[in-house]
Amino acid sequence: MRKNIIFYVNGEKHEVGDHRAGWMLADYLRYERGLTGTKIVCAEGDCGACSVLRWHPYPSKTGAPRFLPVNSCIATVAQLDGSSLVTVEGLGRPDSLAPAQARMLEKHGSQCGFCTPGFVVAIAGLVEKKLCARDEHPITEKEARNGLTGNLCRCTGYQQILEAATSVPLKQCQPAAERFLSARLAKELRAAVKEPVLITAPELEFYAPVTLKDAAQYLVENKDARVLAAATDLGVVHNKGRIRLSRVLSLHLVPELYELAWNKSTLRVGARVTLARLRTALKEKAPEFSRFLDIFASPQIKNVATLAGNVANASPIADTPPFLMISDAVVEAFGPKGMRRIPIDAFFTGYRQTALMPGEVIRAIELTPPRAGERWSVRKVSERKDLDISSVNAAFRLGRQARGELRDVRLAMGGVAATTLRLRKTESVLEGRVLTPETIERALETLRDEIKPISDVRGSDAFRQTLARNLLRRFLMEARA
Amino acid sequence: MKPSEGLPHDSAHLHVTGRSEYVDDRPYMRGELCVHVVYSTEARASFTLDIAAALEAPGVAGVLTAEDVADNHWGSIFQDQPVLAATEVNFAGEPIALVAADSFTRAREAAALIKIKYTPLPAIMSIDEAKAAGSFIGNHRKIERGDVEAALSRAPRTLKGRIQLRGADHFYLESQVAAAYPHEDGQFEIHSSTQHPTEVQHVVAHALGVPQNKIVCQVKRMGGAFGGKESQAAPIAAFAALAAKKFQRPARVVLTKDDDMIMTGKRNPFQNDYKVGFDDDGRILALDAQLFSDGGAYADLSTAIMERAMLHIDNAYYIPHVRVTGQVCRTNFHPHTAFRGFGGPKGVATIERILEEIAHVLGKDPLDVRKLNCYSQKQNITHYGQAIENCLLPELFERLEAECDYRARRREIAAHNQSARENGTPLRGLSMTAVKFGISFTTRFLNQANALVLIHRDGTLQVSTGATEMGQGVNARIAELVARELGLSRADVRMMPTTTDKNANTSPTAASSGTDLNGAAALIAARKIKSRLSELALHVLEKPESRWARHTAGLGTEPEVEAQTIEQAPDWPSGIAVYHGMRFEDGFVFSEKAPEKKITFQALVHEAYHNRISLSEYAHYKFPHLSFNKVTGQGRAFLYYTQGVAASEVSVDQDTGETKVLRTDILMDLGRPVNESLDMGQVYGGFVQGMGWVTTEKLFYSPKGLLLSHSPSTYKIPSVQDTPRVFNARLISNDGNLVNVARTKTSGEPPLLLALSVWTAVHDAVRASKRRDGSFPNIEVPATQEQVLRALDPEAFVP
Repeated sequence: MRKNIIFYVNGEKHEVGDHRAGWMLADYLRYERGLTGTKIVCAEGDCGACSVLRWHPYPSKTGAPRFLPVNSCIATVAQLDGSSLVTVEGLGRPDSLAPAQARMLEKHGSQCGFCTPGFVVAIAGLVEKKLCARDEHPITEKEARNGLTGNLCRCTGYQQILEAATSVPLKQCQPAAERFLSARLAKELRAAVKEPVLITAPELEFYAPVTLKDAAQYLVENKDARVLAAATDLGVVHNKGRIRLSRVLSLHLVPELYELAWNKSTLRVGARVTLARLRTALKEKAPEFSRFLDIFASPQIKNVATLAGNVANASPIADTPPFLMISDAVVEAFGPKGMRRIPIDAFFTGYRQTALMPGEVIRAIELTPPRAGERWSVRKVSERKDLDISSVNAAFRLGRQARGELRDVRLAMGGVAATTLRLRKTESVLEGRVLTPETIERALETLRDEIKPISDVRGSDAFRQTLARNLLRRFLMEARA
Repeated sequence: MKPSEGLPHDSAHLHVTGRSEYVDDRPYMRGELCVHVVYSTEARASFTLDIAAALEAPGVAGVLTAEDVADNHWGSIFQDQPVLAATEVNFAGEPIALVAADSFTRAREAAALIKIKYTPLPAIMSIDEAKAAGSFIGNHRKIERGDVEAALSRAPRTLKGRIQLRGADHFYLESQVAAAYPHEDGQFEIHSSTQHPTEVQHVVAHALGVPQNKIVCQVKRMGGAFGGKESQAAPIAAFAALAAKKFQRPARVVLTKDDDMIMTGKRNPFQNDYKVGFDDDGRILALDAQLFSDGGAYADLSTAIMERAMLHIDNAYYIPHVRVTGQVCRTNFHPHTAFRGFGGPKGVATIERILEEIAHVLGKDPLDVRKLNCYSQKQNITHYGQAIENCLLPELFERLEAECDYRARRREIAAHNQSARENGTPLRGLSMTAVKFGISFTTRFLNQANALVLIHRDGTLQVSTGATEMGQGVNARIAELVARELGLSRADVRMMPTTTDKNANTSPTAASSGTDLNGAAALIAARKIKSRLSELALHVLEKPESRWARHTAGLGTEPEVEAQTIEQAPDWPSGIAVYHGMRFEDGFVFSEKAPEKKITFQALVHEAYHNRISLSEYAHYKFPHLSFNKVTGQGRAFLYYTQGVAASEVSVDQDTGETKVLRTDILMDLGRPVNESLDMGQVYGGFVQGMGWVTTEKLFYSPKGLLLSHSPSTYKIPSVQDTPRVFNARLISNDGNLVNVARTKTSGEPPLLLALSVWTAVHDAVRASKRRDGSFPNIEVPATQEQVLRALDPEAFVP
């Protein structure tokens, strides 16, 4: 059992075995290490000013080790156990700029400079992606926009930043691993993460087991413990002072949770599989969902956030549950009494409440995306198209019999009730029927009564009713055409 | 035009490597206190405070309340706002107490132990409620020309309506922050993220009850400001200073983004009623406009903002008979404040929307209606009596119309919308709007600046002015102006942090005037030294080097050269000043008559020192010609106008109300830019910032006026995915702005107003909806998805 977590920052070794393990990395970098290039703005992973590059031994894979941009303001130091990190200071110095830095300077990509380090790191992350894929084509405008979605700038209007990103000379760029992941260092970190960690400081107890059994046992013994997956949500509530992370269980050292594999047409997604990996895995079999994930959240979030986390959070406006509902997903829970399979429809029991019992954690989620020939769609409506929380989201799926009768109709919607809803009543209006204008009208009427949206910061109930209606109508009209 | 041709921002190499220092990047001092601000959660209430438990909490040095403030009043125009509320709060977010502890976590935890007992009082939560209750700030203002009543009654057609313009948060990335260090003999050094170090100095002095000469305020740079740190940085600095004084320890206030957004004021919401008379061609004959703004609980800058709105009700258009009135309403929201454009966008939005509506009613292309009404050489007198010199507006319209292929696209969009109406697919809209932005503070005395120029013995310079750097590149521009004047490279000129012990009685860096005022002052100071160095060079170049003072001054074998300062009135048209026929180029000084004989600038500086000629200079500058009289509403309010036009094309999703900006073309007149690259950054950046205001940025309040959209998860500024898919911006060449330093025109605020083209384009798209009754849509700013969906399909929202 280790008593310290261990990680590297810009090639320098850090060991933390006290309350600072519960700090957010951005605070640790800024106020403990004087690395003030990393900025804190929103403290909720929405602006990217705190971005750093990170490599971690899990998931173990072959090929060039790739450093990924992550938000340091909502990642506890403890979770970075085993990582090699690079901050903006590590990328280059004023007298020897890294290519991404030089281009940002030459193209006038900085004005007030406060968001700039985050953009530089995000561009460096794009460069990493290209180098690791051995893709020598310059970063395209589309790649740049997608790669920078998680970074907000209030000064530039982004034009010069896009010019900088798309003109980085990849040939002059060096993979981060060459500087920040020597063979010795990688070996040390890989060995370290095989051993569990327990930190007991006055303000913080932190436990990271390497087996699920130990995790379940700990949860039984410590009812007040918080399970930390990626902390993209818990980190936020901690920062905003709504909870204090004092007893924490982290699952980041359990190797089986990183598994991601197809079994025939069913995809098994381990609890620690990030949305970025999920996107890649579904690229061929459910391209529309892959594209949907592009507007889901920022690269920094998707590089750490998990499908299990999005589900366990049980938010009525979480963006993956509607898709999981039309994909017959099953949540595999592991607890003191062993394994249990919970269909996704039964998983959400109330506003931010789930069917998980005390001591249970999500081990994996299995999903079966729609088959070829079926018509389906995932939609998300939010004030801003990208990186925004939905007003309403939805997933629709239907198959058809020979004479056009609908079968296997599955409709799911979020943002219209206390949980994501499977729209059983509306489905029953459509099931077995041929799509006519009258059927569509009846379905829409049923929908109106089946959903109970509220008015809040993201829109009025009338707005949500209209959106829900328009989304379903559009799907059915297109299915009819 | 290649915007990348200019020199980079003078801090760019530091920005990109994370080495540029902001206030909270300063290392914490021994014993430094972290100050947490406790604020009201009620819109209006009397309250009592129990701080006993907080005082006992671990790590807490103490709690400060109104009793700790020496003079508990501040305000930029009217001193009507308490630094800390004493017995009554007037908005949700109003500071009540300060908890000083050894960490922010402990300060925050202790703050939770403070018991505040509120007794709610009746609150005013809208402009309408304020009007009904007669709750106002400042006077009811009027600017009038001609006979509006008669002209309206004669007009063949009239329209009337109401335009709602909501507020917006500045969303500077660096939230409000200040650090205060107590020094010997009761002095305090304040580091503040402020556009107005002089006001910070004064407010801190009042709050502490000490003379102004005991306070030094320093600003190195801000992580964005946009007007939000013009007035509202001052109380934040006072909080840090109050704690520093009480506990005699360094103290720091660093607001979280959430607290910053809840506590600080926004762009003023406006509610504008209008009646307009026009003829069948679309020519405006008369405009009667009543502007009401929500000032929030305290005056802040709202009356000046209202004045600028009234002065911009004409925008680019000549209106023969105008009556515009303005009244700021006192409500129980956070005190609203300056935000890029000040009142300008609210006046301009009004007239631009009216023009769209006139075109709609007449079945004309809105661009034709705009061109018909545009100011020209003949009709160039504004409603406040100022003649528009150097008016390029007609040319800007004509050129952009051709360059962006306006007419062909208009036809194409009309055809597209024909089918989109039927199949419910996205509608498109196109609109071209203009900006004519007056440059000057409308309050005359603010239009002054001073600068200090020091030349060191190695020939490098330190320049200090009252300008503050917030990303706009004011320091880079001033350094370039001075370097050009002396034939040096910009790297030879270092801009020093703005501090009140070098530059006192300065105005805020605001109203886009930073370079115009401070650059001019710096240039005047540099020229005074240059005049002395020129006379000296005349003598030095006549002598063999062995007789130069650097070799002889020690022994005193040569007579000393006397050099007189030549003080000239600013002569901007001439560009570079020449004294005694001496040229300063590429690091050398030489006579126009004998250019082959040169002395390096550095050697000349040495000579000056050894001849006891001062190498330092201070200068003061004020904008000339200003004559605006606030009582009559007439006179020259502005030194000049920055002008521009923009055409935006949008698509509007009929299912969701989602707006996409497909293309924007901008053409601007910025005179002769000092640094074109930096100016283009202002153009793109200002436009996108304005886009946020008119589309996605929605302030959502609880019934008690507590802001609920107080972080980027709920308050949506534009992201990199939201910028126009095609985004062209160009400058028109204009050498004719003879009244301003280097014949430049400032770029800071004006581009923001061009984003109104997106808003009017949304109207243009929505009016094509099949589900409308043919009336012109009335869409608020911001045109959120819900607003747009409502306008597309009004019936769906009938309960």
